[in-house]
Amino acid sequence: MIRFFRYTILCMLSCLTLLSCIEDQDFDQFDEIGVTPTVEASILYVEAPESLVNASTQANVISQEFNFDAFSSNVFSKRVLDGTITYIVENTTESELSVSIELLDVDGNVLDTVIIPVAPAPMEMQQVDVAYGSSGRSIDIIKNTSSIRVEAVNISGTQSASTAAEPKVILKSSGKFRLEIVQ
Amino acid sequence: MRIPLTLTIVLFWTCFTMFGQNKQLLYDFVEIPQSAMVNPGVDTDFQWYAGVPMLSGVSLQAGLSGISVNDIFSNDGLDINDKIRDRAIYGMNARDELSGTFQIEILNFGFRGKNPDNFYTAGMYIEGDAIGYWFQDYAILGFEGNADKLNQAFDLGHLKTRGELMNVFHVGLNKKIDNELTIGVRGKIYSSIFDFNSTKNKGTFITKEGVNNIYSSTVEADMQLRTSGLNGLKDASDDGTLGSTITKRAFFGGNLGVGVDLGFTYQLSDQLVFTGSLLDLGFIYHSKDIKNYTLNGKATIEGIEIILPDAAADPNEDFWQELVDDVEGFVPFNDNTDSYVAFRPTKLYSSLRYNFGEHVDNRANCACGVNASSNRARAKYVNSAGGQLYVINRPRGPQVALSGFYQRRFGNFMSVKTTYTIDKFSYSNVGLGVSIQAGPVNMYAMADNLLSYGNLADSNYASFQLGLNIISWGKK
Repeated sequence: MIRFFRYTILCMLSCLTLLSCIEDQDFDQFDEIGVTPTVEASILYVEAPESLVNASTQANVISQEFNFDAFSSNVFSKRVLDGTITYIVENTTESELSVSIELLDVDGNVLDTVIIPVAPAPMEMQQVDVAYGSSGRSIDIIKNTSSIRVEAVNISGTQSASTAAEPKVILKSSGKFRLEIVQ
Repeated sequence: MRIPLTLTIVLFWTCFTMFGQNKQLLYDFVEIPQSAMVNPGVDTDFQWYAGVPMLSGVSLQAGLSGISVNDIFSNDGLDINDKIRDRAIYGMNARDELSGTFQIEILNFGFRGKNPDNFYTAGMYIEGDAIGYWFQDYAILGFEGNADKLNQAFDLGHLKTRGELMNVFHVGLNKKIDNELTIGVRGKIYSSIFDFNSTKNKGTFITKEGVNNIYSSTVEADMQLRTSGLNGLKDASDDGTLGSTITKRAFFGGNLGVGVDLGFTYQLSDQLVFTGSLLDLGFIYHSKDIKNYTLNGKATIEGIEIILPDAAADPNEDFWQELVDDVEGFVPFNDNTDSYVAFRPTKLYSSLRYNFGEHVDNRANCACGVNASSNRARAKYVNSAGGQLYVINRPRGPQVALSGFYQRRFGNFMSVKTTYTIDKFSYSNVGLGVSIQAGPVNMYAMADNLLSYGNLADSNYASFQLGLNIISWGKK
């Protein structure tokens, strides 16, 4: 009986196989699947009021290092292909400033520096885009960045007496990176 | 945040091993004893039957709506990444699914009681069932990212899946009330081997223009994945005791549940028959080997925020770690071992059958005849045609399938049934089932969606069922 059953199944499967067709499929295409999403998010926001600018004439308004492990974490550094960091500086004080942003590795070595001269108010919002990867600076800078140092110097050496409401210097930044999830 | 291995395994299973459940060919195919499994109130005329262990009922069904293998892997010269983007990511929607089920009967038998109006059935079968809906917004996010998608809310509720593997013990009674009505009830005990479900997720991820910084990223999540039995199976696999662990759980050693099947057959006239059944009205209480994961809360971040001069008060302050801690605090990823109840996917069948043509002699021990006033088993007609309705309760609401069928009987030797079914998987599903009776040996085989055999790779649905039984109608 079992044998009869087996033969019947075999017969049925054989018939189905003979009657069935399959169009030409190319499963090697699987190797060509590339999942490379582009992600973007804010990185750092620094805000210094006019009083701090005036208190630091001819000196650093700010000079501070911030730990930032997002870039060097494995989930990011092993997948990042290229990208751009965007810096935007807004100044509503009457002091001329120089803002520098340094990307540092885990040992404190400077990997990259971006200097943004900032005119006194009224000024246009100043935007700097720094590309990394194939069309820009080495992507290894990003992969090894462990902290960010921000310095702002009051190079005009003058006291600001802005009539604007809450005059301040603001640094905004965001990153837009392409990641390789599957290749 | 490290995603546990178990979660990864579940998601992998969800993505690649999902399977519909409709047995439209078997339903009301009264020549086959297993038709009682989809309608305990089927109008049966057997004196007794016994399924050949492990071979009496084997069924496998798999369905994929919205896309087919051919859509992606056809050798058409197009870039596969373009095909994935156009046909899968944006071509499918969150209601599309990959789903399926399998059943293997280990034991199945039935016999007529001293009261010939009562027919008893009992048995045991293994069932696996899973469904995963297309997680569209996750796919968009994973394939394209969130860049240049300001104000687009990604729906975290698109993750909706469930699956289970269990052994089912059942005992049923089929009772002929009168010449018109036959009813049936079957009690079930579910012995779960494993279970997972993540079906009530809510939340969004959205990137907007920031209040202070350039962008703000907001995640609002109310998500949960409940599992039972998976960790124990992984441990058993590591220990080389997987087989014994599964066997133990299959025989009341795991989480248990109860359920009931109900059904009826009503003879509207000599030739017109109305049937219905409600299957797997039950639940499993999961209290052993539980591991649940939750992600619940809301957080909005705009990167590290330094407001001077206050932020400079502590030069050693780690703003990055504070940001990470804040996010994990506002949207904590937790796990627990809380017990839970999982309801079975309840199924509803109904049919209207019109019998016509010549009569087929009934093999049952009765004074059978179409006009007999008190038949235990009615004489059959050569032809039957009608329509069937199938509804299954799924995480995104009921799924419906409509079938038209024609059945032809060739004496008592062979019966053939063909169906045409419309459901979310296909509008051209033609199925064929054959039951052969060679003496006491009954054998049946059924296959679905036959038109898709022209190009199997372009098929959205496939199923087969087969089985072997010994049947007796008693002495005439």
